Amino acid sequence: MSQLQIQLQQTAEPLLNVQEMQFWLDKAVAWGQADSPDTRKDTCLHLSRLRDFLQQLLTHINNMNSTTETMKTLPFLGQFLGRLCWNPYVTAEATSRRLLFQCLWGLYTEHPGNAVERKANQWIRKVLCQLATEDDDAAAQTLMKHTGVPPEEYHLKVLRKRVALLQQNIGKSCSSLGDINQRCSCDSLLAASEACVPLVTCPEAAPLIGTLLQQPVTCVRAALSEDFLDALSSAYSSQRLSLEEQAVVSLWYHNLSSLEEAVLRLLECVLTKTGLTMQKLKQRLTESLLPKACAQHCSIFLVVNDIFRSILKQAEGTESVKYLIQIFTSCFLRELDLLQHQTSVPLKALFPQSPQSLLVPLVTLPSEMPQEAWRHHLNWLSGSLQRLTEEEEEGDGDSSSSTRLQRERGHHNVFDAWFLLVQCAHWVQAAVQLLVTSGPEDCGPLMWLLTFYHHPTNRGHHRALQLVHAKEAWDHLRSLFSVVARPLPVDRLQSLVTLLSSQPQRPSASPLLILNLLVNFAVFFQQSLSGSTEILQTVVERSGLVDEAACVLSSLELRLNEGSCLSSDANRVHLRIKALQNTITHMCAASSPAEN
Amino acid sequence: MEAVLRNLAGTAELLAVAGRSGVVEQWDEQTLSRAFDWARYCEHVFTRFHNNPGMRRIMEKQLQLTNQSLQAVFPAYTDVSFSDLSQCQHLLLVGLLSNPELPSSIMKILFDSMSPANTKQSEYQGVSGLCSRIIQCKSACKVLSPLTDVSAVGADAEVQGAMLMEELAALLSQSSEACRAEHFLDSVLQGCDGAAHHFCLVIAAALLTTTNSAAQTASQDFLLDWLQRKPSELQHMCSTLPATLVIDLSKRHLKFRDAYCVVLKNWASDMEYSISDGEWVQTGTNQTSVSFQRLTEHFLALLEACPSLREGVVKELNVLKISDGDFDVRGLSVWGDLLSIINK
Repeated sequence: MSQLQIQLQQTAEPLLNVQEMQFWLDKAVAWGQADSPDTRKDTCLHLSRLRDFLQQLLTHINNMNSTTETMKTLPFLGQFLGRLCWNPYVTAEATSRRLLFQCLWGLYTEHPGNAVERKANQWIRKVLCQLATEDDDAAAQTLMKHTGVPPEEYHLKVLRKRVALLQQNIGKSCSSLGDINQRCSCDSLLAASEACVPLVTCPEAAPLIGTLLQQPVTCVRAALSEDFLDALSSAYSSQRLSLEEQAVVSLWYHNLSSLEEAVLRLLECVLTKTGLTMQKLKQRLTESLLPKACAQHCSIFLVVNDIFRSILKQAEGTESVKYLIQIFTSCFLRELDLLQHQTSVPLKALFPQSPQSLLVPLVTLPSEMPQEAWRHHLNWLSGSLQRLTEEEEEGDGDSSSSTRLQRERGHHNVFDAWFLLVQCAHWVQAAVQLLVTSGPEDCGPLMWLLTFYHHPTNRGHHRALQLVHAKEAWDHLRSLFSVVARPLPVDRLQSLVTLLSSQPQRPSASPLLILNLLVNFAVFFQQSLSGSTEILQTVVERSGLVDEAACVLSSLELRLNEGSCLSSDANRVHLRIKALQNTITHMCAASSPAEN
Repeated sequence: MEAVLRNLAGTAELLAVAGRSGVVEQWDEQTLSRAFDWARYCEHVFTRFHNNPGMRRIMEKQLQLTNQSLQAVFPAYTDVSFSDLSQCQHLLLVGLLSNPELPSSIMKILFDSMSPANTKQSEYQGVSGLCSRIIQCKSACKVLSPLTDVSAVGADAEVQGAMLMEELAALLSQSSEACRAEHFLDSVLQGCDGAAHHFCLVIAAALLTTTNSAAQTASQDFLLDWLQRKPSELQHMCSTLPATLVIDLSKRHLKFRDAYCVVLKNWASDMEYSISDGEWVQTGTNQTSVSFQRLTEHFLALLEACPSLREGVVKELNVLKISDGDFDVRGLSVWGDLLSIINK
């Protein structure tokens, strides 16, 4: 590119609007002249736009070849930046302070070539020196000198004292007043939250911000400034916020976008980390504070649930998301129990879209029921769900006797029922466990339930075929695990492996469904440990589903841990799971030595 | 001990170099960091030994020697005294930032604003972003001040009052140094010359801090005794501080209450009745100007807050009224007029 073209390109770039510069200069002058509640409010209101403008300024300064040139294009720049330097609202906030200083450094010339640049350098040094070291409070200086407290420590003490005083004042909400005619101090809440707009990233102010967020909303006037919530939300998303746990929960309650941010961060973590065990998943979930927050504010639960719903609607097959939803729901319900509300929230309110008849039966845990009753319960569940899907499909097929709206509602019903099943997948796990010990006569409903869990939509009416395949796999497994003689029958092993290898063309049962069955057989079937281990190892190795097998095992372990059953049978199962896990881990290590 | 003295001398030299020499051009982040480490070291030394007169003397002597040699090297050198060491980091910073030879790269390190927000409050955070943090702290104070300074004493005065109390307690704990405590208070008073009102706030804050130990109670007692020897400061406090503060002080400290009563009576006795104004006015070149109405407000408020005083005050006023002739006509005896208002 020729020199001229480069120059043209530079001038063609969006130059700073002269009017905009004037606007901000006028603002800076106005803010500096009077220190009234109105100017303070105005400053806080404009802070985020000012940041954008400073960013533009910085780009402009960096594009110029020299300070002399910059000063030619923006003669009032020095004045503007200088005024901002002395505005505490601008210098208290981390980003605007950074941009301001960067603008100043942009005007600094290492080797000044003329008087303008030399003067600019001197001025910049002077301003920065004054900002950092000047103190015109004679009394404070005297006391500092005579008590031996250095200025940095002194200012920190004063800041902490101010924060503490404000916290005390905020605490007096209007609910403490007896007389309705007395003026409440809730206005102070709004004023304090506005003043805190530039302080959201200041760690010393965190206790105050926490107190503001956690103030119970008792009065119409006790509202937090919107600018305050916006500032918090953007600081939260850039992870520059330092708040205590309860304050974060309150932030989510007040501000939807920070809640969404938190959920998306959790999902990202779950979806990107491979080899996440169930225990780690549960730990990560608890650390995120979301279950606790949902238990404290049911409105938060509804939002989080909605997010999960829409994720699943778009991608129904993602196993890790399904696991997350299950663990999340069980953690949430446990936290809710712990909280012991005086007025307990009805389940209906928490799961408004789920089919009401299925709600209590699904939410009840298998451990809350004698094991003998599981089969009956599961048969009932399976039957209800089957009826629901049939209704929808009938509506689909018979276009004359139902409107499009009815059909859509039907779709919703099935999805909602399936979503509830995903949330309460402990019953699916119970079904799989029972399938291991079932005979061919009573495996039907359980099989259907399992198939439905893995294939909720019946595209092209393939479910019947998928059921057949699933039953096939189950037959294979039963016969394989029943065999005592060694070596294992090759053909049966191979057909199982074939079923497990994903074949997207023909409508087959999901490999994960079959893997789930396989692992459960290995754990629960009456076979020797060595026998089961051999079968599991061989099949998993050949089909390459090592990670997935580890996942299923860890979810089994988690479930048994929570069941808290102390019978000797539980111990045996635990030991068996541990042994199988060891085998799988060794397979992981063997297959990828470089990664370890 | 030798090592400490060497280090002190070395740091004084460092301060001189940082503020006045072109050597700083060679400094990099590591040099900067080490310089501040030495400054912090000196601050520790100060904290440890500033109430130990013997050690202090030795260190002051060393610094004198160092000052002399540095005077020879640097023109217009300002001496570094032992008490300056309490602010060693600040002195270093001031020196560096006003040194025109300081490379901009070093300044950029000090003003860097990129470090993450969350840090443990008591940990040392390093030189990077040091100035940025200072500015953030000072600005945050200013941002919050319109909201907090509506409280009676104000955050500044409260913190300063606490600092005063702490130092006083430390000085008094050394049994032989009562005069040092007196000297300390006198110096503070002198230093606040021109900020008399603020000084009153600080004293009030100091006297109102909740005492959790015998040492703190003793400090407050000492402060009260000292205050009683400073009649003009006492008067200033009584006349300029918000009424609620004065009342709180009276409720808290018997000595203050009694001193306050004396001040009020002095004000009354200074008054003459002005026929043209139809009111009692203050005579003389008294610095504190109080109107009769305010005087009565003071009396009423005090008696309301400390009802046990009433009997004694009324009796005393009566005696004074009688000595004035015991007239019930307004304008003849300030005591009589006061009494009539009080007795309403």
